[in-house]
Amino acid sequence: MSDVTPVIAVEQLTRRFPAVRALDDVSLGFAPGEVHALIGENGAGKSTLMNILAGLLAPSAGRVLVRGKPVQLHSASDAQRHGIAMIHQELNLVDELSVAENIYLGREWTRAGLLDRKRTHAAAREHLDAVGCLAKPGAKVGSLSIAAQQMVEIAKALSQNAKVLIMDEPTAVLTRREVALLMGLIRRLRERGVTVIYISHVLPEVLAISDRITVLRDGRHVTTLTNEPGLTEHRLASLMVGRSMGQQFPERGEPGDEVVLKVRGLCVPGHVKDVSFEVRAGEIVGFGGLIGAGRTEMAEGLMGLRRTSGGEVALSGKPLKARSPGDAVRAGLAYLSEDRRGRGLVMGMPVVQNTTLVSLKRYCRPLIRRRAETAATQAHVDRLGIKAGRLHDLIDTLSGGNQQKVALAKWLEIEPRVLIVDEPTRGVDVGAKAEIYALIHELAAQGLACVFISSEMNELLGMCHRIAVMRAGRVAAMLDGATATEEQIMQHAAGVGAAREPSTSGRRGWRSEKPNDCASP
Amino acid sequence: MAIGKTQRLRVAVKAAANKIGFLRNMPMTTNSLTDRRRLWDDLAALPSWTGAGVALLVLIVVTTIMNPAFRSPTNLVNILNQNAVVGIIGVGMTLVIILAGIDLAVGSLLALAGGLGILTLNALLGMEGVSEVTAVLGAMVVMLAVGAAAGALNGTLIAFGKVAPFIATLGGLVAYRSLAVYYAGGGQFFSQGSDLFAALGQGLPIPGTNIGRPGGRVIPFEIPYTVMVWCVVAVVGYVILNRTRLGRHIFAVGANERAARYSAVPVARIKLYTYTLIGLAAGVAAIMSAARYTSVNSSSTGLLIELEVIAAVVIGGTRMEGGAGSIAGTVIGVLLIGVIKNMMVMLSVDSHLHGLVMGVIIVLAVLAQQLGRWRTA
Repeated sequence: MSDVTPVIAVEQLTRRFPAVRALDDVSLGFAPGEVHALIGENGAGKSTLMNILAGLLAPSAGRVLVRGKPVQLHSASDAQRHGIAMIHQELNLVDELSVAENIYLGREWTRAGLLDRKRTHAAAREHLDAVGCLAKPGAKVGSLSIAAQQMVEIAKALSQNAKVLIMDEPTAVLTRREVALLMGLIRRLRERGVTVIYISHVLPEVLAISDRITVLRDGRHVTTLTNEPGLTEHRLASLMVGRSMGQQFPERGEPGDEVVLKVRGLCVPGHVKDVSFEVRAGEIVGFGGLIGAGRTEMAEGLMGLRRTSGGEVALSGKPLKARSPGDAVRAGLAYLSEDRRGRGLVMGMPVVQNTTLVSLKRYCRPLIRRRAETAATQAHVDRLGIKAGRLHDLIDTLSGGNQQKVALAKWLEIEPRVLIVDEPTRGVDVGAKAEIYALIHELAAQGLACVFISSEMNELLGMCHRIAVMRAGRVAAMLDGATATEEQIMQHAAGVGAAREPSTSGRRGWRSEKPNDCASP
Repeated sequence: MAIGKTQRLRVAVKAAANKIGFLRNMPMTTNSLTDRRRLWDDLAALPSWTGAGVALLVLIVVTTIMNPAFRSPTNLVNILNQNAVVGIIGVGMTLVIILAGIDLAVGSLLALAGGLGILTLNALLGMEGVSEVTAVLGAMVVMLAVGAAAGALNGTLIAFGKVAPFIATLGGLVAYRSLAVYYAGGGQFFSQGSDLFAALGQGLPIPGTNIGRPGGRVIPFEIPYTVMVWCVVAVVGYVILNRTRLGRHIFAVGANERAARYSAVPVARIKLYTYTLIGLAAGVAAIMSAARYTSVNSSSTGLLIELEVIAAVVIGGTRMEGGAGSIAGTVIGVLLIGVIKNMMVMLSVDSHLHGLVMGVIIVLAVLAQQLGRWRTA
């Protein structure tokens, strides 16, 4: 593969930001028709490299070559002209427009100056078929599942004759079945000679799909490996962090006897039906299941973020009726949202103000004592090992893993009795992941009751004392964490027996399973 | 394969939004410009009102050179005095805009609260056994109460009725004005025979500071009460915004309402309080305005003042989309507009063209801020 002219290459690429060298003298080539994975911790330079290739960022030094010729990529449309397309984590589609209108956005088919809907739909259908997307060209994009929207975005890139497809964490928002379909599509693209640059934190996927794997660390190119059978996740993880990885999951502590959180018959209309469980002090109870099974909605119901219809919640025996998040917080509940950028943190606010947003009252008498606030934030930064420039810098300047730690610190500030974490390690690198695991264990050892919602099997199995598997809004099974297996979780999550699995060939194959509605109270 | 160029409006709008997104991430293009990029990074770290502050200084210097009379204390105090009403309401508007809201009703509210205050004053003065002090205090309380109540009504509609701020306060803009005109029978409210109330609109002579006026007469240097009140309101606004939970929550709701809710911020209550505060500010402004002219014209007092206030806030670097802004910026914005108006009079620009100059300067100020934002990655 190395003797072929790379379809796209970078030479001695460097990009400096005010505080850091995000990319430092990186040289790399991507061969035609290969799946090339790019891995590294948050802040390793993956995003910077991608953004330069996609024309969104200019390099400070070095150059980009397309088919051996140096090019200047000043904008996304420059990149597009050279056949480079990027599928962002946050998809770039207009919800209110149809699938076909989105694919031809800015390049509309016209006849006599008017839009030619028939032609648009026919052309869109062709590209949709090529990627195996079953959505109707006339359907509104907003009505499609995330997975289907991703397919539309890929179809759009192909309709622009993309030869290089950069995919940023494409599977982060997909369910297992959808991931399998995406992998199939990537293989088909490879056969068509499209180069796929695949950025992911999920190492098993990387090993399953890629031809070559490039590891970046601290902005430098560590190595590029050919994916051979002997290559292990462990090896990749060590290369990423630059040291040998120890045990990822700490020993589970022994939970206490006191039941801290008791939930009986909780209902969230449209999402959760009759959910009951208990969490004891020091216990970590996992919640697994497919996306859309109602886990997040259950947590939001507990927090007073959603209206519940019936059910009883008690904290240490005291009944809790949370009408607002304020009620839940005062009772000692904390909820780390799965949507870090949209709900978990206030982007555009400094690190300090994010950290103390929930607990601000403590620092008021009655005016805010900024010095105390900063000192408290500094304590969290030290304890959790948060890498932040200045505490008064915007939270946006931190890497994903560090942002997540700030989000956690915000909730630890109120010293909760029950901590609900929702996908706590999504978009977080291996190093920070291990630190978050250790922190949760440490908190549990101090008597915290923890509800641990996750779509990552190994996390559930490695972290939790018990695992509740949710399906269509109900708890389908409660498994013992020490003896449960991935297969068991999957079986309960998808419904026992393959017959219950919705058909993947049907038109609705890309949608996740909808939960039953709750009966009205 | 012919590709058409027709674009429908919403497509264009979304595409433009996407482009801006790209531009925000896009630094200057070639490798040799790293130093200039650092400069932009440094500039981005300055407070958001720096641009307006520099513009104000430049303007003061230029005007002084072109007409030395500008610098006279009388003229400077006059500028402060003429713009104090906008300045007082501007403090409230800063909070509202940082909250990602807007209040169009303040101009009409100024007329309504002022008018009802004068009616109260006249009624109390006409009663037996009511002292002038009581009457004036009663009138002030009525004006503050009307302002706060109207603000709370707007806030309730917005916070609990989920009416868009633009619409809710547009309703207020029309309704409060109509009510003011109705109570005035289509004309003006005049305050009769209270020297005390009239004195409120004057000022405090500062002893020992005799300053010459053109014309040879020597009078004591006065700081008008309106200006003092503006200063106090600005300081109170600064403290609320930067040193209280309410202020912190205003920033959080303005930056990301959903994230604020997930952090247990009582979003609806914060909105209610903020609109009540701007109503209260309008009440304070109504006192100052009514006392200064000892009358309120039901159809012209405060007319279009909301737009001038919003312009001042935005010129001061407060973001229309919410989540960022400062009181200091708004004070500078008000002064900038005031100095420009004053300058146009001193340089005898045709008064019919004042609006044109103001419009151009407002748009330029905001454009300059936008460019600054795009340049910084």
